[in-house]
Amino acid sequence: MKPVPEMLKEKFGGVVQKHWEESARQWHVLVAKDSIVRVAEFLIGTFAMRFLFLSGSDTRKENGFFSLYYVFSFAHEDRFLIVQTRVEEKDPRFPSLSRFLPQANWQEREVQDMLGLVAAGHPDPRRLVLHEDWPPGIFPLRKDFDGRQKIPRVAGDYIFERVEGEGIFEIPVGPVHAGIIEPGHFRFSCAGESILKLEIRHFYTHKGTEKAGEGKKPDHLLCLAERISGDNSLAHAVACAQALENLGEIEVPPRARFLRVIFLEMERIHNHMSDIAGISLDVAFSFGASQLMRLKETLLRANERLTGTRLLRSVAALGGVRRDITEEQKEWLLGEIGKIKEDFDETIRILWQMDSLMDRIEITGALKKEVVEALGGVGPIARASGVDRDMRREHPYAAYKDLLFRVPVFTDGDVESRMKVKVREVCESFRLIHDALQTMPAGPLCGAPKPFRPFRSALGYTESPRGECFHWVETGRDGNIVRWKVQSPSFANWPLIEYAVLENIIPDFPLINKSMNLSYSGNDR
Amino acid sequence: MSAVLLSLFQVFFLMALAPAVSWFIKKMKAASQNRVGPSLIQAYADLWKLFRKDMVIPETASWIFHAMPWVLFASTLAAASMVPVLWTRSLFGFTGDVILFVYLLALGRFFLALAALDTGTTFGGMGSSREMTLSSLAEPALLLAFFALSFRARTLSLESMSVYFASEPPMQVLFFTSLAFGALLIVTITESGRIPLDNPATHLELTMIHEAMILEYSGRYLALIEWSHQIKQLVFLTLLADLFFPWGIAAAGDFPALGFSLVFFLAKIFILAFVVGWIEIHSSKLRLFRAPDLLAVAFVLAILSLLGQLIIGRGL
Repeated sequence: MKPVPEMLKEKFGGVVQKHWEESARQWHVLVAKDSIVRVAEFLIGTFAMRFLFLSGSDTRKENGFFSLYYVFSFAHEDRFLIVQTRVEEKDPRFPSLSRFLPQANWQEREVQDMLGLVAAGHPDPRRLVLHEDWPPGIFPLRKDFDGRQKIPRVAGDYIFERVEGEGIFEIPVGPVHAGIIEPGHFRFSCAGESILKLEIRHFYTHKGTEKAGEGKKPDHLLCLAERISGDNSLAHAVACAQALENLGEIEVPPRARFLRVIFLEMERIHNHMSDIAGISLDVAFSFGASQLMRLKETLLRANERLTGTRLLRSVAALGGVRRDITEEQKEWLLGEIGKIKEDFDETIRILWQMDSLMDRIEITGALKKEVVEALGGVGPIARASGVDRDMRREHPYAAYKDLLFRVPVFTDGDVESRMKVKVREVCESFRLIHDALQTMPAGPLCGAPKPFRPFRSALGYTESPRGECFHWVETGRDGNIVRWKVQSPSFANWPLIEYAVLENIIPDFPLINKSMNLSYSGNDR
Repeated sequence: MSAVLLSLFQVFFLMALAPAVSWFIKKMKAASQNRVGPSLIQAYADLWKLFRKDMVIPETASWIFHAMPWVLFASTLAAASMVPVLWTRSLFGFTGDVILFVYLLALGRFFLALAALDTGTTFGGMGSSREMTLSSLAEPALLLAFFALSFRARTLSLESMSVYFASEPPMQVLFFTSLAFGALLIVTITESGRIPLDNPATHLELTMIHEAMILEYSGRYLALIEWSHQIKQLVFLTLLADLFFPWGIAAAGDFPALGFSLVFFLAKIFILAFVVGWIEIHSSKLRLFRAPDLLAVAFVLAILSLLGQLIIGRGL
């Protein structure tokens, strides 16, 4: 089969202005702005490619245009296709994909807010990231915007979509919640206890992380990446490191690849345990919750003992990892993992036997496969709705190619399925850690860094505990970092919750929310 | 005179004991979670702390908001003074007090729901609507259970019922009243806002029932509400003890009998609290729309108890 870019050239002719390979697995094509929709439809329809995310950057200084990058995954060949297009400042419109590709909705609105481009034909062009108190005409990701300045706030109201009729009322929840969680607003339209519509309003914790990453040294960028989502710290760091390694063509030594797998899976286990504990707590079964939290704490302490940090901060480094696992530590970890697994299995057995718990989680918050696919859902949530997809298998990174693991998939899409997926993934992770520890080759921990080449872009990704996590880095004239885009799994998954709650009742919302356990910080960045 | 004093003492005794019973259930839950849990003093210190704290009153609050804690507290105390505790007399006992008992609690609840609506906040309205739904189902079950018992005891006075059941052979009492006991136990759990119907420990406003109604309260008012809630829970447990396990209760107000009765009473209350706590630990919260099913079970149990006696007759 001919490479896809060449086939695109044949099919669309002059529309495809240029195509090249930026790295072994990264095809780029530059297409005319007006034909983006046609090209995207063709890629998805003909090659069964999957749209991952859209990144925009202000490259006016280099070529006089804004650049848009539509990143597609071509799982059959383990490649990525990046469709680039250029948008002029004078005519900032670009065609919206959202009508046929609903998952582009938030992506395009983010580009609108941050870069001041206009998604023409977007069905819902309201503001997303920047709220109404942000003055119009100021676009943070443009290069002429200084990230350190203080912006005066203006008055403005967000218009929620309303459901009207007799007996229908709205329940506003948040952005400040009871309990120690992050801010986010949920607006329910209800008839009695039944939810007719939920509209979420997020981005209260937007910190301008991507902007802060511009001009940073690679090591500093990694530090920022670790802080995007506290409990998925390592997944973000590794994704960012892989993007940078891809940029600098840095070879990661085999031992470091295995160590990354071990620590990434440790992170997955403690995240999933905490999620299952949360489900148990939300149905008021505190026994299960406290047992699982106890196990999570044991894991965090193991992390601390191995790496000096509970949430695996500073473990990933450019070109490898910072911490080794010695032979002695290996034996200790194997023993510890065995004990935790035993306790975990027993707790889960008790949970599955609880009729009253099962009654709460069956059918609750069901997400249909079609909805998940249309909105681009990722991770355990997608796998619980029958979407068989895992970056560790589709586009293997670190040492996942050398290790055997199963990707659990369930089809009901309800809270129970999400919980089952997480339980099974924990079991797979225990095995992965075990196997990786046993088969880990000896060798150095870090590859030698090389200077980045100018005007390059590279993709790094991990299957974080919450799902696919992408980091996209572009370099400028001197090989410095000029754009850093983070596509967190929560950004992809938050819109799903609006559909998961339909036909459910208000008091079940916290349970549904917990079963998805999305990050606010990761979403808002 | 001393009879009145002793009856009055009973009410104070319930007021003083109520936080300890809630503490006991908390402690049980803590043990199930490998936690130490609070000390007994904490239960009282929390109330004391709230009594001394400043209150934050919503701007939209009307007189209902201010009256509710007092009405709730007073109605709960009035109900509490109708149950025999240490001896078979109560402060306000009279024939027909069973019915007044039910509606005194309803009065408190009415004001509770009204005050939750009064401030116009989101969660208050949600809480009242849920509370009213559940109580409209719990109330008939409670009344029917009372009627089943009073049918057997041929009296509508809590005092006389207690005396009657204390004098009946235990096996016969159990045979006829175990169904009514089931009904009253479910009502007790509902009224005290416990799992599986409500979760007293949650911070998730959207799932709350009782807690959602009192979210706007703080300081002294909150202390009054919390305390009434604890007293109500103890009153229900006392009722269960009086009607189903009345053995050991003092027939006269003399000293050795009262001491004996006190030991029995405490044992009974903490065993019943243990049962409530055990249920709380071993179940998760019901889906809100499944809660009526449980209360329907209570209703059916009460009806069966009544019908059973009608069909088999008193003679057995």
